[in-house]
Amino acid sequence: MGAQMANRLTFGRVLSRIALACVVIIAVFPVLWTFLNSFKQVVDIVTPTPKLFFTPTLENFAYVFERPSVRLGLTNSGIVVFSAVVIGALFGIPAAYALAHMKTRMGDEIKFFVLSLRFLPPVAVAIPLMSIYLDLGLYDTRLSLTMTYVLLTLSTIIWLSIPAFERVPTNIEEAARLDGYGPYAIFFLVALPVAGPSLFGAIIFSFILVWNEFLIALMLTTSEAKTLPIVASEFTLLGRNVPWGILNASVIVLSIPPLIFLGVLSGFLNRMFKK
Amino acid sequence: MKARSHINKVFLGPPLLVLAILALVPTIAAIVISFQNKELGRRGTSFVGFDNYINLFSDRRFSNAMKVSLQWEAITVIGTMVVAILIAILLFETTKGRTRTVISTLLIVPVLLPRVTAAFVWKFMFNPLLGVINYPIKKLTGAPIEFLSKIETALVSVAVVDIWQWGLFFAVILLKLLETLPREPFEAARIDRARTWEIYTYVAIPMLAAPLISLTFVKMVESLRSFDLIYVMTRGGPGVVTETLDMYAFSQGFVESGRISYASAMAVLMLVATIITFTVIFKWVRKWQTA
Repeated sequence: MGAQMANRLTFGRVLSRIALACVVIIAVFPVLWTFLNSFKQVVDIVTPTPKLFFTPTLENFAYVFERPSVRLGLTNSGIVVFSAVVIGALFGIPAAYALAHMKTRMGDEIKFFVLSLRFLPPVAVAIPLMSIYLDLGLYDTRLSLTMTYVLLTLSTIIWLSIPAFERVPTNIEEAARLDGYGPYAIFFLVALPVAGPSLFGAIIFSFILVWNEFLIALMLTTSEAKTLPIVASEFTLLGRNVPWGILNASVIVLSIPPLIFLGVLSGFLNRMFKK
Repeated sequence: MKARSHINKVFLGPPLLVLAILALVPTIAAIVISFQNKELGRRGTSFVGFDNYINLFSDRRFSNAMKVSLQWEAITVIGTMVVAILIAILLFETTKGRTRTVISTLLIVPVLLPRVTAAFVWKFMFNPLLGVINYPIKKLTGAPIEFLSKIETALVSVAVVDIWQWGLFFAVILLKLLETLPREPFEAARIDRARTWEIYTYVAIPMLAAPLISLTFVKMVESLRSFDLIYVMTRGGPGVVTETLDMYAFSQGFVESGRISYASAMAVLMLVATIITFTVIFKWVRKWQTA
């Protein structure tokens, strides 16, 4: 009986180890495979048997970075995303601080309003805005795209920063008040530094959200203000005689900025879900 | 106390004003345009009353898109939650310490990827000639499966990518929630010789009911954002099998015909449906959780 138990246990252990390995492989393999392919020449991709070993080339990346469309896309994405995140943080963090201290029904309603902005289907925002921006002569400009993205960054930063401020111990703020700090001094000198790391996580989260954004950029830009995801998607929709290596390289380039912050976000999650 | 309300006004006023303008302007514009006959590249518009809405109700492609959207919501929400729960339990049972931290970090890689990247990566793996998924299938059966161009598999294949991104991410969150649970109920159940699956079904999952419902709600909202995946992987095809509401509204308002007003009517209906549904669910969840 005992031996049987032990047997079953080890068998179960082996099975669960295999399952675990499969989960990790499924999570990472697609990305690694794309990464490998981005260093392959087309002959190494178009093979009947997938190739693991090959002579790597940087040609694909060189080609991608030499394209004027990619350079413009990078510039546009950089400017639009950076502006939208900075504006979102400047307006959103103080708002979150105020909301974190409002324990009234009014406060709840405002929080719900901010959250409900996420319920808006992006296409329902983009279609009317396209028409408005066309009428105003703002269509296909970085300005109009930035304004639209502020809706996303501002609401996300508010929503994610409220818990960060709620976790600042009230007795610290109370002590500062007794020391004669005014409400603004408490915010800038006490609450902001204490909540700092979580706030940074919230800002990075909103950065990734707009860096990856696709539908709104697709509908509000055609050439001048096109962002990198749109440029990359145009590569991926090429027809016959597809330059596969270049495609793989282009989506890798697009994915580097969000992946740089993997560590920051993983830390942010740890703080969010710690009791 | 006065100072407090002063700082609240300064801190809340401008952001709320910005949000209200950014949200209300397109919403009101969508409603106004939906009662017109505006088209891209055509001058002169007039009000046509409910014509666009009436046309929508007899539009077979619209009702198809509604059906596809509902299917998409069901597949991705249920798929994500099931995958997340199973993987979270697996991780909680078989890993600890550094291994667990490393695996958790790897599992959030997919959700960080731009959807365009995720869509392309999988589209390439599904490719009948070059894809790694089809390689073993070809070895075994001699013929590849055209996952993205077969009616039966297209929608599910795209949904796999969505579940790959969100299911693994939610698994990490659930794992962290499992870590916050008190140990005693688990130990009591073990002493009573409960099996592993029994411990989770009758002890752990009920203890996590509230966050599980919140996560399901978040996924329902996020599943509305299916456009990028479908646009890159199938463009709504084969035929209209994967054409969701946002895909159809996009093609009507933008590419195919530039019928901005018709697309706006669709946008308004989506807006009303999602706002009502999600507000009701949200209030219900909150009431249920505080009760």
